[in-house]
Amino acid sequence: MLIMGDIPQKRKPHRKEKCMSKTPILKIENLTHVYSKGTPFELSALNGINLEIGRGEVIGIIGHTGSGKSTLIQHLNALIKPTDGKIYLDGKDINESKQSVKEARSRVGLVFQYPEYQLFEETVYKDIAFGPKNMRLTPDEIDVRVRASAQFVGIGEELLERSPFDLSGGQKRRIAIAGVIAMLPEVLVLDEPMAGLDPAGRREIMENLMGYHQETGNAMLIVTHSMEEAARYAQRMIVLEHGRVAMDGTPEQVFSREKELKEMGLAVPEMTELAEKLREYGVPLEGTIYTVEQMRDALLSLKGGLQDA
Amino acid sequence: MLKDITLGQYFPGNTVVHRLDPRTKIVLVLIYIVAMFIAESFASYALMLVVLASAILLSRIRLATVLKGVKPLILVIAITAFLNVFYTSGHILVEFWIFKITKEGIFNAIFMALRIIMLIMGTFMLTYTTSPIMLTVGIEQLLGPLKVIKVPVHELAMMMSMALRLIPTLIEETDKIMSAQKARGADFDTGNLVQKAKALLPILVPLFISAFRRADELAVAMESRCYHGGEGRTRLNVLTMGGRDYISFALAVAVLAGVITLAHFGL
Repeated sequence: MLIMGDIPQKRKPHRKEKCMSKTPILKIENLTHVYSKGTPFELSALNGINLEIGRGEVIGIIGHTGSGKSTLIQHLNALIKPTDGKIYLDGKDINESKQSVKEARSRVGLVFQYPEYQLFEETVYKDIAFGPKNMRLTPDEIDVRVRASAQFVGIGEELLERSPFDLSGGQKRRIAIAGVIAMLPEVLVLDEPMAGLDPAGRREIMENLMGYHQETGNAMLIVTHSMEEAARYAQRMIVLEHGRVAMDGTPEQVFSREKELKEMGLAVPEMTELAEKLREYGVPLEGTIYTVEQMRDALLSLKGGLQDA
Repeated sequence: MLKDITLGQYFPGNTVVHRLDPRTKIVLVLIYIVAMFIAESFASYALMLVVLASAILLSRIRLATVLKGVKPLILVIAITAFLNVFYTSGHILVEFWIFKITKEGIFNAIFMALRIIMLIMGTFMLTYTTSPIMLTVGIEQLLGPLKVIKVPVHELAMMMSMALRLIPTLIEETDKIMSAQKARGADFDTGNLVQKAKALLPILVPLFISAFRRADELAVAMESRCYHGGEGRTRLNVLTMGGRDYISFALAVAVLAGVITLAHFGL
């Protein structure tokens, strides 16, 4: 079985111990972006964002439609230039030169919404190889990376020589994600990777991605609308509103501010809501609850008390 | 970057010019074009300039925006003017080798350049103040009489409005695909011509696939809403001519008459 650890890397290997390093991999300073400046369609999307993304962090980015999520993530690999502010990758300004932009593109991998619409090659293999090829790796390195990343997203060897257009929507999505993973980015950014998939497909892709994260120790930023998924997989959550960071903390910290979240038009996980209702009826549930498992444990721990009530 | 293209761009507003019936605006532009070609003297150009300026002022569209439409054609205008300077016979001002610069030539060059610029600005006023949908409705109604001689007016208008409707969508889609491929390290700017053409493949293939998919979906959506061509089809917003339309017609005819009279007296 191939794992990413076998991949010959041009860059310094970044293993688990490096995740402990204190310097952030990405630092966003006072980032501001205004679309169509100077026209009647002027639209300010980001207003002074300050963030630090640590190495190996898994972060869920949440926000209402139009809160600036997509604009923010496209800044991270220099696809959009900031109107104001700076982004540092490993301490270096990514918009400094053509070279730094190129470096950012390969070190920060960005998977767009519905990435299956960007497939274009004749075979799955060639499509996944597009990114590594652009990085000018040797054919041997490309081969190892293609096979490894296909495995990470659960695409079997037998599919590699098929045309991507003959495959199902879920498989296309995986191939598109593999195409970015193959570049072995130190920060993997995904814009709603589960949108439009059935529950089983969603879970599988998330498990695949978490497997990739655990194997490589690379940071992962996931934009999502699903509070449940964010809560289940992320160690840290960032809530955006009107182009500003409204909240930034662990899922527990964020979900404890239920009222504010609702005012932003965001939902809290169903279990959190249920817990809140039960507490209103006088059930003394303890701790923060946002998964079914936590709800079960909290209920079981007061089972005796419930029977009395 | 692709979004900055101004071709046929519409600037929403609620001024008199915006509220004019699209049919009126199309006819006014046609009259304007005819008048521009008849105009030959200082007086008639001044009159046309007043017309154009008042249209721009009334529409509250910034002059810079209107001038931006002229920018891509600046080279063509310059060459036209340049040739006019040398190829007009008349009172010679300067002469060297085989070149003669005449007084008439200079006037001709200025007038020609001014005419092209004013024509472009005038026609842009139509697309700047009329939404693409209203424009096609206007064209369909104006061409309506041609149905008698079996011209598929409705189908043409439908195709036109769909094409116009899909331009921004396709541009947005191209932008998105370009970003996605750039994120995978694609490079569209460097290399020789062959390499640049090859670099377009990762954009064109997904773009065509999605365009066909979109066309398919649109056809199904239209059929499931019982679309069967223009026969017996009515409109939600029926165009009606109002007082401002008749007034502007009267003004346009007056201007045209004025220009013709001025031309007749050679002024």
